[in-house]
Amino acid sequence: MNLELTPEQLLLRDSVRRFLAGGAPARRAPLAAGEPDQTADAGWRGLAGIGVTGVLVAEKQGGAGLTMTEAGIAAEELGRALAFGTWLPTAVAVPRALARAGAADRAEPLLAAIADGTVIATIGLRDAAAPRVAAFESQAGTVVTGKVSEVPGAAAASVLLVLAADGDGTGLFAVDIPSPGVTVTPLPAIDQSRRRFRVLLDGAPASRLGTATAEAIQAVVDDVLAVTAADALGAAQAALDLAVEYAKTRTQFGRPVGAFQAVQHLCADMHETVELARGGVMHALWAADAADAAERHLAAIRVKAFAGQLAAVGEAAIQVLGGIGYTWEHDAHRYLRRLLSWSAFLGSPDGYLREIGSGLAQGARTQRSTAARGH
Amino acid sequence: MDFSFPAGVAGLREELRAWLAAHLTEDIVAAGQRGPGDPAAFEVIRSWSRTTAEAGWGAIAWPREYGGRGATLLEQLAYLEETVRARAPLPVNIIGLNNIAPAIMQYGTEQQKRSLLPRMMRADDIWCQGMSEPEAGSDLASLRTRAVPDGDWFTVTGQKTWTSLGHRADWCQLFARTDPDAPRRQGISCLIVDMTRPGIEARPLVTLTGEEHFAEVFFDDVRVPASALLGPLNGGWQVATTTLSHERAGAARLYAEIRVRLEDLVTGLATAALDGCPALDDPVTQYRLGGLEVRAAFLEVLCKRSVSAALHGGDASGAASLAKTVWAELGQDVAALAFDALGPHAADGRWADQRLAARALTIAGGTTQVNKNIIATRSLGLPRS
Repeated sequence: MNLELTPEQLLLRDSVRRFLAGGAPARRAPLAAGEPDQTADAGWRGLAGIGVTGVLVAEKQGGAGLTMTEAGIAAEELGRALAFGTWLPTAVAVPRALARAGAADRAEPLLAAIADGTVIATIGLRDAAAPRVAAFESQAGTVVTGKVSEVPGAAAASVLLVLAADGDGTGLFAVDIPSPGVTVTPLPAIDQSRRRFRVLLDGAPASRLGTATAEAIQAVVDDVLAVTAADALGAAQAALDLAVEYAKTRTQFGRPVGAFQAVQHLCADMHETVELARGGVMHALWAADAADAAERHLAAIRVKAFAGQLAAVGEAAIQVLGGIGYTWEHDAHRYLRRLLSWSAFLGSPDGYLREIGSGLAQGARTQRSTAARGH
Repeated sequence: MDFSFPAGVAGLREELRAWLAAHLTEDIVAAGQRGPGDPAAFEVIRSWSRTTAEAGWGAIAWPREYGGRGATLLEQLAYLEETVRARAPLPVNIIGLNNIAPAIMQYGTEQQKRSLLPRMMRADDIWCQGMSEPEAGSDLASLRTRAVPDGDWFTVTGQKTWTSLGHRADWCQLFARTDPDAPRRQGISCLIVDMTRPGIEARPLVTLTGEEHFAEVFFDDVRVPASALLGPLNGGWQVATTTLSHERAGAARLYAEIRVRLEDLVTGLATAALDGCPALDDPVTQYRLGGLEVRAAFLEVLCKRSVSAALHGGDASGAASLAKTVWAELGQDVAALAFDALGPHAADGRWADQRLAARALTIAGGTTQVNKNIIATRSLGLPRS
């Protein structure tokens, strides 16, 4: 048992933090609508330069070949810096989907382009358990038709991975954007750094990369939950830090507001929530690489189930900050938006809480029937 | 990053598990659940301590020279996980084993160590700790009980309260003021007091559950030999804080205990009916169970982070206050769900008792509010209020 970060992991964290603190406004997600293709942006290429876009890409494909723990370290810093919403789909969801579908070799050029920062790619996982897209062979080759209800960063992406029903079950396909038959429509979003789109596919040209079993799809969703939770953790920690710094310096009634117990206890509660989430995220990231499927899945849905409580950290931060925290200029609402977007991501926390509770119930029933048989 | 338990601990775990399976009877488990505040249960729990001590499982963290196993931190963790999971009673001298014994080992004379420690482990002697007073609860430094040095003796006068098993104790680790003129923390000394000395009266303090677990202890001109002093004169604060920081693996008890409570709750729900349907099928109950499970799992990681930090030289400052706070709130929430879902169905009133007893979790051993003050000032660096 060793839950400490290694010296290399600390170096990675510091180098990502330093890079993101570099001050170029482009490194922060834009507040207004409209997301440019960030491959043209020096910030994105800089991220690639320090190995962060290729963190999960194998070394032989030009990536860093690191574990989910390192991906989580990068995600936490990106969340803290309110950065690039397209990193998660490009650097995490797509490489993990390719790996889990056994398609990494076939997709080598795509993975190499992700690692060197020349492509933004994405995949929609909202309907992953029951994709509403089908693949066909046409005269022009393989095409896909249907709807992907929620795709992160699709406006900036040039490659979309699609889960589609085909003869063998569910296949994993690549579709170029733009292509004939691909329509990308923005969805309302609470967080402009995390924009989501509906993608309609109508005979769009596609290439089949591999087969996605139900187990593989579940695993990819778990992977994405774990790393997105790390991003949210960074945002929550940053919101807490802002609130605490403010409470130390803002003076009212002749003393720093942080000297009032009522404010102290708000901050202590936030800290408790953040540290609980941190433990859950550490475990989910480790489990994604090292645990069996049951532990991995439970660890991943736990952090998602906790998203509502984590979002409350963003709310409490605004309470501690008072009026200044309610302004457009202050970062507090950006953090809250990021946390609320995590809370809404792939369904509300309530369903996940039910899933965990019904899992406990199922376990108890199994145990009782086993015991009954034993007698 | 590695959450797996090292294989080296597996041997001890298996040995312990087999021993518990052979020796821990249902009667002993039941006595442990009633607790030492129940007179009949007290004797069963006490003899369980003797059984564990004779098998070498009494205090594995102690050095071998005092009858322990010199267990490593991970072995202590495995020990706590296994004993809690098996629902073994807490040792009747738990405060003695964890907090008083390390102080005796550090500050005691050879004579004190040899005569006191083995009997403590076997529960031949029952120990209590005289800390809280009517006017010194959370604010320990304001204690008023006085021990006036007088040649070869101290004369002790004052009152302690919330003294666990004070009415059954043979020995008391007493904290008393020996220099009334010194600053608050500097005038306190630690004395090892024989509870049979004339002038000591211990009255059981009946708690809201009707149990006699605690006592009020009155000291009326009690003459205590100077040799009873543990640690330096006026160095009692240092002795007290040493004892309190001696339990790094103790964090394991927090998560293991919550896990067991949650398991018992799920087992209870599996056999109960709510409005004619199995209680476990109720979606609201499942939803609440899910929330408890998540926090229990996260508490486990929080505790393991403090163990990992101790093992590998990491920084987990503040984790103890945090873990205690989370454990207490979670314990109350488990009790609340148990009462809501099972309260009306249990003829023995077990869940109702737990619902009430859970109020102690956010008070005993440092209130949640004081813990939050500590977290705010020490972990977050906010100014003192």
